[in-house]
Amino acid sequence: MLRIEDLTVAYGDIVALHGVSLEVAAGETVALIGANGAGKTTLLQTVSGLNKLRSGRMEFGGASLAPLSSADRVRAGIAQAPEGRRIFPGLSVEENLVVATSSWRRLGKSYADDLAQVFDLFPRLKERRRQLGWSLSGGEQQMLAIGRALMSRPKLLLLDEPSLGLAPRLAEEVYDRVGRIRETGLTILVVEQNTVLALAVANRGYVLETGRVVLAGSADELRRSERVREAYLGR
Amino acid sequence: MADLIQLLTNGLALGSVYALAAIGFVIVYSATGVVNFAAGQFVMLGTFAGVAMLLNAGLPMPVGYAAALIAMALFGALFYLVVYLPLRTSPVVTVIIGTVAIGITLQNAALLTFGSWPFRLPSPFEGMMIEVAGAVVSVHALAVVATTAVMIFLLWLLLHRTAIGIAMRAVAQDVKAARLMGLRVQWLLAFSWILGAVLAGVAGLMLGPMWFADVNMGDPIALKAFAATVIGGFGSLPGAIAGGLFVGLAEVLGASYISSAYKDLIAFGIMILFLLVRPQGIFGEPIQDRG
Repeated sequence: MLRIEDLTVAYGDIVALHGVSLEVAAGETVALIGANGAGKTTLLQTVSGLNKLRSGRMEFGGASLAPLSSADRVRAGIAQAPEGRRIFPGLSVEENLVVATSSWRRLGKSYADDLAQVFDLFPRLKERRRQLGWSLSGGEQQMLAIGRALMSRPKLLLLDEPSLGLAPRLAEEVYDRVGRIRETGLTILVVEQNTVLALAVANRGYVLETGRVVLAGSADELRRSERVREAYLGR
Repeated sequence: MADLIQLLTNGLALGSVYALAAIGFVIVYSATGVVNFAAGQFVMLGTFAGVAMLLNAGLPMPVGYAAALIAMALFGALFYLVVYLPLRTSPVVTVIIGTVAIGITLQNAALLTFGSWPFRLPSPFEGMMIEVAGAVVSVHALAVVATTAVMIFLLWLLLHRTAIGIAMRAVAQDVKAARLMGLRVQWLLAFSWILGAVLAGVAGLMLGPMWFADVNMGDPIALKAFAATVIGGFGSLPGAIAGGLFVGLAEVLGASYISSAYKDLIAFGIMILFLLVRPQGIFGEPIQDRG
């Protein structure tokens, strides 16, 4: 579904990604793990069209992503729950969700079902539907960020560090929901520092170090790999 | 008592105009981050759009008003295309300086086109007076207050009950997140400029019959609208309304009870007091970050 070939991205002189290649097949959940500054967020932002690529190719559903703007990529089916959640602070929970329906022309017609589905997945959001975004707790904001990404009915869901800044119990709760989203058959690419949680939910994974893919394999293989155990699992 | 009612009506009417100008200013500021120093000239342009359509072209009133507001909407779109869009990747200060340049250009363009002699823009309620609790007040002033109230209500509906309005608020709060949610950010920013220009146009059409239509009227309005946003809370829409009414009332009541020579001093004195004592204004920024 998503194929990235030899992707190089730079901010000025600083190269963030050096010839990264990865693939996400339909129905898969793929984890991209690595330390802070490895280039994980850069990769997701580039897929969503926020960064220019220096070289390489990105394909989604067999077609090049290059000519598509960020907005067009959402319409094509790529949704993202970004790093730091980026909830709209002055919009209510419901407005945060409604604003992300893939086209505002569609509004008023078919978003009721999508809203019900998100509330079904995150009942806490339903209780707080009238509350402003900034007033939510970190865990609730993360759930809202994921729910908001689902509102555009994506084919591919990009999650950027959903566990960041959350207490362990809340991080597990969030990943429990990611697991449920996976069960619906949605394709997921999750970027994460918390290797244990990410590999528990993923089929496959890639390890990114200073802008290069250094290891790839099934979730089991990665969990057993010496390199991952030493660097990311602390064992 | 009769005097006071008359003064309050005139103060609220003038304040309504300031409030609309301030709202137009705030909408552009919160969406694009640009402090529009041409905001006063937008209002002047609104007044002269009225002069052009009603006096020069001789259109009947409803048609003339509609034509003037359509002209203002086109002007907002043009401003977005010619000033904001080419400069959008430059630092925001560059855009702000651009608005200063356009403001000066607009004022001089108006001077060349209309001359320095002031015009008298007619009101649909020309010369009409009504008695309220023993006081004789102008129907135009009441109509200005009523029109402003309706405009504010419509704006509230737009921003809170329509998809495009909610999307505008989202863009104002986090452009990057708005992009990631698939919003057409550039269209929404263009719409913010158009909306700002149309609101300034309404303010200008209502102000024309209260002042003279003078090509130099933009600067005092810009200063009052700016004072209104500082007093109300920079970037806040309720603040722009409260601040605008406050400045209008202070100006009219101050001119009558203290001295007309000092009417501007009163408004700006209060603004300076706010900057010293409560710089976030009456409605301090309600949005906060939660770590």
